[in-house]
Amino acid sequence: MADQKEISIPVADPNDPYAVPAAMPSSADNAPRSFAVDDFAVPTRKQEDWRFTPIERMSEFFDVFEPSGLTQVSISMIDGSPVDTSSVDIRTVKIGDDLSGTVSKPNDRVSAVEWNSENSATIIEIKRSLDHPLLIKVLGTDERLDALHLVIAADSQVHADVVVEHYGDAKLAEGIEITTGDDAHISTTFIQEWDRGSKHVGNHRIHVGKDSSIRHSVVTLGGDVVRIRMDQDFGGEHGEINMLGIYFVDPGEHIEHRTMVVHNAPECRSRVVYKGALNGKGAHSTWVGNALIEPTAPGTDSYELNRNLVLTPGAIADSEPNLEIENGNIVGAGHASSVGRFDDEELFYLQSRGIPEKEARKLVVRGFFGELVEEIGIEEIATHLMQAIDRRLARGESEEMKNVLEEK
Amino acid sequence: MSTLEIKDLYASVETKEGRKQILKGVNLTVNSGETHAIMGPNGSGKSTLAYTLAGHPKYEVDSGQVLLDGVDILQMTPDERAKAGIFLAMQYPVEVPGVSMTNFLRTAVTEVSGKAPAIRTWTKELTTAMKELKMDPKFAGRSVNEGFSGGEKKRAEVLQLEMLKPKFAILDETDSGLDVDALRVVSEGVNRAKAKNDFGILMVTHYTRILKYIKPDVVHVFAQGHFVKSGGPELADELEETGYDMYLPEGADSESALA
Repeated sequence: MADQKEISIPVADPNDPYAVPAAMPSSADNAPRSFAVDDFAVPTRKQEDWRFTPIERMSEFFDVFEPSGLTQVSISMIDGSPVDTSSVDIRTVKIGDDLSGTVSKPNDRVSAVEWNSENSATIIEIKRSLDHPLLIKVLGTDERLDALHLVIAADSQVHADVVVEHYGDAKLAEGIEITTGDDAHISTTFIQEWDRGSKHVGNHRIHVGKDSSIRHSVVTLGGDVVRIRMDQDFGGEHGEINMLGIYFVDPGEHIEHRTMVVHNAPECRSRVVYKGALNGKGAHSTWVGNALIEPTAPGTDSYELNRNLVLTPGAIADSEPNLEIENGNIVGAGHASSVGRFDDEELFYLQSRGIPEKEARKLVVRGFFGELVEEIGIEEIATHLMQAIDRRLARGESEEMKNVLEEK
Repeated sequence: MSTLEIKDLYASVETKEGRKQILKGVNLTVNSGETHAIMGPNGSGKSTLAYTLAGHPKYEVDSGQVLLDGVDILQMTPDERAKAGIFLAMQYPVEVPGVSMTNFLRTAVTEVSGKAPAIRTWTKELTTAMKELKMDPKFAGRSVNEGFSGGEKKRAEVLQLEMLKPKFAILDETDSGLDVDALRVVSEGVNRAKAKNDFGILMVTHYTRILKYIKPDVVHVFAQGHFVKSGGPELADELEETGYDMYLPEGADSESALA
């Protein structure tokens, strides 16, 4: 059955009535949380959560399916060396067992479908701090539907970085659970470099432990339809979530990211910064950033930002920040959103120095994303991401060349 | 030895009030090593001429030719013109966020020269040029023109001039917004680059003060969209005295910036 989460609303102090708002139910986060598919209606464009999504292109993910089981997952350190099993415990369990299903519950129909279609879950439990990032490679080998469920759990006081790479040809429903103990500090980075024609629905459920921090990065550089939804909450005071996103959208692609940050504990901090570049007619991106500050979260410091760079005419970027503040006693709650065109004067300036138009666009996109990647502050991750972005920018070139050759 | 020939050039710009012709029959020949000062009242079309030569898409050529060693550059894209040897130092250099000066300069030099410069000589050349222009080495790591002061932007333009080694340099009011010291540093940079590469200079300016540092061979008066008078360096002094009124039609508002 669907759970309607119960929150205890503090009673207003008559001497300081604005410290706590009037008791009323949240509207930003009233969606059910449930493992049962039928607790969610089949998506239509009329539902708020789906109004930007081309649902007809991903309807195969709306009902429970038999997964092909052909998606290959390999786990190593980022340099390819084997994982020290005394620091990281990797195990495959029946879905619903062990730690799987412990971080919140599915929050939309496709997430519930993923849960009910997949039979097993891979648990990655990090018991001790890691000196170098862990690399999980997810390779799609087939265009049949598949499901994948990963749990990344960091014990208390652990410092670790995890990179998950997606590539190949896939139709994948993916569920990710990320959770930490107390005073743990981790980063999780998800890169989508799918081949053309791939589809991916993802659901990340994130729980930041007391005094812990998570840097969560999503970099989507390819895929026909990609829709990833992030749901996050805090396990206690002084938690910090830093969500960062980068996307590059080509003609005909739909790339959608939805972040839901829930401040349910006092004195926590959240930052959500997503940047996208859109190239060409029919490229479509969607970013919906939800932030909810509950009455139980005084001292919240929250900010979300989305910037879109439209490189050529005919691309569409939807950008929607939603903020619901139910506590007057907070440090800050801000949001900003923009869709801008690649400036003609910038282009002319670069061209007047001998840099051809195509090269100039690449230089600007690289700079646009580079500013964000620099903020990660973990060199091995930043380098890895810039390499992926460079690969993506170079791929654009060879694709164009391919088109020229095909036309001949 | 190169020659830049502007032949009977007419160009227009699209404005809110419709299409407006700004250049009306420009004729000029500049050879390598020559410095031509282009002076004239505000709104006469000097900057339009500079941007039209560099290929800014806002300006549309109606007729005429611009030949660089006999090849018409008007058919070329702005980057092709840069590769052919045209350099425009802009009055208002554009900020390009996220692209570092180093990365930008290296990309530009690679494109213009056709090959990536060798790391060691490149770094040395850049460091020396920046030092001579009294630029903080930190600028190399900053985004192109972002947060630069007016003077810093002009130094950065001259730095590019030194690194890109064009055949012809068009300086569009490079002296505007500079204090006395910055004007000297920037002028010395232009002279140094010219001494090394012997390019021709078209220098658009309102003021005679820059001519004390960068000595013109020829001074032209530009009014109403074309050249109306040419002479030696003494013409600049004459303009300082008399202003541009005599070159404007009866009753026209003179906005002469000559003090």
